[in-house]
Amino acid sequence: MIDTPALVALIRASIPDAQVDVVDRTGTMDHFNLKIRSQAFAGRPLLEQHRLVYGALGDALKDGRVHAVEITTLAE
Amino acid sequence: MSEQLQAEIEREIGANTILVYGKGTKTMPRCGFTLETIEFFTRFGYPFEVIDVLENMPKREALAEMTNWPTLPKVFIKGAFFGDTDILGPMAQNGELERVLKEAFGYEAAPKTTISLH
Repeated sequence: MIDTPALVALIRASIPDAQVDVVDRTGTMDHFNLKIRSQAFAGRPLLEQHRLVYGALGDALKDGRVHAVEITTLAE
Repeated sequence: MSEQLQAEIEREIGANTILVYGKGTKTMPRCGFTLETIEFFTRFGYPFEVIDVLENMPKREALAEMTNWPTLPKVFIKGAFFGDTDILGPMAQNGELERVLKEAFGYEAAPKTTISLH
């Protein structure tokens, strides 16, 4: 489990200009829909954009704080 | 990552034009995203295979390392990695996936409507 402020901070640690919309899909604070807006995505293939996000989530995915995540990325 | 695992994966992604590594099987998916991916490809009407790696941690780690992608399901088309429906969804919307699949199979499949069981 992770609360929304901690999740947004985790993402911003790697993607500083990220605007993050978080939806807790199941109310258990570990299944999230993330909509992330950042200049870092501009000009990158979609797969790379999502790898950036997975990189930011890193440990939280490995240790189970985040169990499942659906990602939408926007460049501007 | 052991050579043996890497060879096994390369054989599997070479033998199936559309291959989904997921949690559970095509008839018994055990994760929402794996089910969603099965329904996604069923709608397209091309044949696809699902390989269950839920209990196979070494293989899951090998796949994560090969693709630099930590989660399941993982989709390969003609041996190339395409992520999951977060990637394939937008590609389907802009018609790019239809082109990739038509080229991969060499024919155009008749899309099927999914019969919803629940």
